[in-house]
Amino acid sequence: MENVFKNIYNYRELLKTNIKKEIRGKYKHSFLGVLWSFLNPLLQILVYAIIFPIILKNDIDNYVIFLCVGLIPWTFFTTIVTQSTGVIIANANIVKKVYFPREILPISVVTSAAVNFVISTIIILAFVLIYGMGITWHIVFYPIILLIQYLFSIGVSFLVSSLTVYLRDLEHLIGVAIMMLFYATPIVYSMQTLPENYKAIMALNPMAHIIEGYRSIFYYQATPDFKWLGIILIVSIVLCVIGYMVFKKLEKRFAEEL
Amino acid sequence: MPTNSDVAIEVDHVYKTFNVFYDKTNTIKEKLLFWNRSKKEVREILNDINLEIKKGEVVGLIGVNGSGKSTLLKLMTKIIYPNKGKIETYGKLTSLLELGAGFHPDFSGRENIYFNASIFGLTRKEIDKRLDQIIEFSELEGFIDNPVRTYSSGMYMRLAFSVAINVDAEILLVDEILSVGDQHFQEKCFQKIEQLKEEGKTIVIVTHSMDSILRFCTRAVWLHQGRLKMDGDVKKITDAYIKETA
Ligand SMILES: Nc1ncnc2c1ncn2[C@@H]1O[C@H](COP(=O)(O)OP(=O)(O)O)[C@@H](O)[C@H]1O
Ligand SMILES: [Mg+2]
Repeated sequence: MENVFKNIYNYRELLKTNIKKEIRGKYKHSFLGVLWSFLNPLLQILVYAIIFPIILKNDIDNYVIFLCVGLIPWTFFTTIVTQSTGVIIANANIVKKVYFPREILPISVVTSAAVNFVISTIIILAFVLIYGMGITWHIVFYPIILLIQYLFSIGVSFLVSSLTVYLRDLEHLIGVAIMMLFYATPIVYSMQTLPENYKAIMALNPMAHIIEGYRSIFYYQATPDFKWLGIILIVSIVLCVIGYMVFKKLEKRFAEEL
Repeated sequence: MPTNSDVAIEVDHVYKTFNVFYDKTNTIKEKLLFWNRSKKEVREILNDINLEIKKGEVVGLIGVNGSGKSTLLKLMTKIIYPNKGKIETYGKLTSLLELGAGFHPDFSGRENIYFNASIFGLTRKEIDKRLDQIIEFSELEGFIDNPVRTYSSGMYMRLAFSVAINVDAEILLVDEILSVGDQHFQEKCFQKIEQLKEEGKTIVIVTHSMDSILRFCTRAVWLHQGRLKMDGDVKKITDAYIKETA
């Protein structure tokens, strides 16, 4: 157990370089890059903010804020899943030729996405301020929810990144799954408006609780539901352990499968 | 943990096979459709290899092409894993198996030094400290800020070798890449290897040059068709090898 962290710590420079490379890639060409990384979620929010109130006939107050508090963490999650499907294959040239702890690759994906997410949170804050809702002390819970989502994502990334090496078309299945999961997560609608039996099913979706958590902080400006978040934390830790074990088992043949 | 603290590399009843697929199925769709029908041949590459390499030994690994030398080095670095048996290495290990392994063609030589050394597990500070030394050894001062895709294969090799040799590993594995450099640089590498040998580092080197083996190896290991054919005295083994391959 201690060795797991020591091995990663010893290779911290590689981890840092990898994370920097990915973040810099996103914000390269300085001004345009930064602008684009904000413009993309903004346009998405705009489109959804126009379409969903019409189809769903909802009467959610400040729908734009409601939406962006759900959409930005969701994008954080889907970016990780999509990038994880290709990360080992994209690094085939080093995986096949040099030894280094392979888990550095999924961890870099998740960490750089987390940095981007923290930067994107500016969008949420901007909306909250523009709409005059303001920021309350509940923001102190933000790092806790971020940590839970980080751990959950690491677990998912370990599984997805290693499995796709063996099952290349898993990437397509995952794409479809993400699309369906989008509607099975309270992003464009509120969990409260669901019938009781649907609510019970939704409770099985960790992303639902994570998004509700962010929503409590920024939108409802209330203390998040820590009973559920505690459960999701435990689930995430278990997922990390299982994901790590699967990854460690599958990595043995990476160099041969690539 | 090493039972015996003077052991650097322990290869214990190692078997390695490669699956050669005629139609490789790496998708769920194909795995379902062609379940159990995909034609594959299991090729035995290494067969019951046993080696105990002591700290400070310089081992020359010889054998004809395809005898499994590179595969054995890859197993030692943990790029691949044995099907049966165990391989343990004790101490920081660096390997130079392929030319410019892990180089990023669009990065400059300098950036690649950082990237490559970080793959070998060095921290930024440690790399900073060694940077001048690495550049000087490579003799690429004039090109160090050019992208490495503009390098010739000799320059590639000089950079790769300079990084690998300056990371202060206790164990160094070198596949037959030294032949790429020019005479002058080869000589310099051999001198460096000589120096590492004096410092008590463990080295395993693959080369077809019997002269180099005779010059600085303390032990020779001959692989033939995936088996250990001879192991021990350098002179005896190189003579036998030359006789058989002549
Ligand atoms: N990835 C692989 N898949 C199938 N066969 C392989 C693979 N890599 C090497 N081989 C086979 O293994 C044998 C030994 O290869 P190698 O270890 O490279 O030999 P050497 O370095 O002694 O020339 C060769 O017959 C080669 O064809
Ligand atoms: Mg070879």
